[in-house]
Amino acid sequence: MKKAEFLSALEDVLQLEDSIDENQNLLDLEEWDSLSKMAVMAYYKKTFSVEINLNDLKNIQTVNDLIKLAGSNIDG
Amino acid sequence: MVSFSKEQIFIVTGASSGIGEGTALLLNELGATVVGIARNKERLNAMKSKCKYPENMFLEIKDLTEDINALPQYIKELKNKYGKFSGLAYCAGICQVNPLQTIDYDEMKHMFDINYFAPIFMVKGFADKRNNVGEGASIVVISSASALARDKGHLVYSGTKSALCASLKSISKELHKQKIRLNTILPSNIKTPMTVSDNNEYEISQQALYPFGFGEVSDVSNMVAYLLSDKAKFISGQDYVLDSGGVI
Repeated sequence: MKKAEFLSALEDVLQLEDSIDENQNLLDLEEWDSLSKMAVMAYYKKTFSVEINLNDLKNIQTVNDLIKLAGSNIDG
Repeated sequence: MVSFSKEQIFIVTGASSGIGEGTALLLNELGATVVGIARNKERLNAMKSKCKYPENMFLEIKDLTEDINALPQYIKELKNKYGKFSGLAYCAGICQVNPLQTIDYDEMKHMFDINYFAPIFMVKGFADKRNNVGEGASIVVISSASALARDKGHLVYSGTKSALCASLKSISKELHKQKIRLNTILPSNIKTPMTVSDNNEYEISQQALYPFGFGEVSDVSNMVAYLLSDKAKFISGQDYVLDSGGVI
């Protein structure tokens, strides 16, 4: 998946009014709450067959960190 | 007395007939702007011809089961057209009596599509915070007393409505943080085109079961309007049985 496609999907999962880029700090978003983390976990499993857990998400800050969790599934 | 302003925009599904039609007309009469959705254009137009403020009544022709996954996107398009929504009244549904001997997998799936999957995905679209007004927004879904009564012949219908109530309860908790209220109404024995029967014997046997007789569409639509309004700001996550007095 292309990075731009992922960013758009993430905007939908988090229901963001505005666009974000890869440098966005997730901790600055009020939408980045426990329910959204569950939604991201479900999205990763469904889309990339990648299982991430709450611990993985606890240690990340930016969208870029989140992208790294998808490994080679997100490029360009 | 419940009243709305025309800045409050409500989606009503199943708006061409029965409870949906009555709800669309009542919300419009109480001052709200209504986007009425149904499959049949003629019947939708007939509904609009009865409404009090035609300038605040908008119609959308749509079969909700056509592409259920795309329903959230559909709500987004409606939002772009009309503005952020204050409420959703999901009144579309089908009821078919089928005992175990005659159930059919495809028919069952169709009933689940319209009675379970479509409302869940409409709620998903509505609850996206980019599509609603936020605090004060309210959702009312018409389930059925069959969700609890589970009579003979209603195994599929009861199944769809029980599942719907269960999932909506869970969803209502997810919506707390957005301050969106979600309630369900479980009517029984309301006279609508969906439930009316030409079988007098059956009707007479039913009458004995209902102490306050048959219900009117307005018995349900008034409850919908109340739950959509700020008068009900304390109420969420509830199932209201409207069944002519303690049948369940």
